[in-house]
Amino acid sequence: MAEFLFYTMSIAAVLFGIGVIAAKQPLMSVLSLLGSFVCLGVIYLLAQFQFMAAAQILVYAGAIMVLFLFVVMLLDLANPELLKEVPLKILGPGKVAVAVAVAGGLALTSILSTRGTPAVGSEPSVPVQSGAFDPVDEIAAVIFTRYILAFEAAGLLLVATMVGVMVLAKRQRDPIERGG
Amino acid sequence: MLVLAAVLFGLGVLGFLLRRNVIVVLASVELLLNAANLSFLAGARMHSTPDNLNLLGPVFAVFVILVAAAEAAIGLAIVIALYRLKQTVHLDQLAELKG
Repeated sequence: MAEFLFYTMSIAAVLFGIGVIAAKQPLMSVLSLLGSFVCLGVIYLLAQFQFMAAAQILVYAGAIMVLFLFVVMLLDLANPELLKEVPLKILGPGKVAVAVAVAGGLALTSILSTRGTPAVGSEPSVPVQSGAFDPVDEIAAVIFTRYILAFEAAGLLLVATMVGVMVLAKRQRDPIERGG
Repeated sequence: MLVLAAVLFGLGVLGFLLRRNVIVVLASVELLLNAANLSFLAGARMHSTPDNLNLLGPVFAVFVILVAAAEAAIGLAIVIALYRLKQTVHLDQLAELKG
């Protein structure tokens, strides 16, 4: 059952990913991205990463998706002028070749490196205490002791992001003063 | 799980390189970061034993999510500022830095 669900969700995630890059309208693209996020969340849950599944749904499918949808709505992207895409031919086969090579190489490496390891559905090793691979208390203990510097840096990054976004998005009152 | 991560990463690279709409490009970047997260968690799961969990993978995934949120916020703010300036979200018309 779990294995079947895992493969279903994987295929759905890949299909939604194709939707992201193939959709004509940016709105459909962003909604496909949402589907992909939810599928990945279910996969995390199946793989017994309960905390990561919750974080995935809350942060990605909640916060980041709201940001994307806000911008799509704000920019009036139904305007057909904005939807014009360059056909793939003009972009040249070079980029396509690079992307396909990267994807193929990664897939090959991961297949070779995971041969013989158990699949997700087959329950290789259930953690004894919490039944999760990411117990929140242990993660918190590690983050607040061993990785405290990274944690502080992350906080600093978020503050800088907040200030930067406000500077970037504010309307410029004086056109001569190009502060933004 | 790693195979799925690789396929999603490949899709993200494809979208990043092939699409010219800024919003779709940013969405592709999110796809890339998601694939990276998935491989972190897959690695943590592979290297965990029942009494010795690998916590580095989930910790790193938390930080990746955080950076992804910051990146999306900044990227979309830049998109709004550019749209206000040039009335377009088409990357080929935004070649200001080429001088």
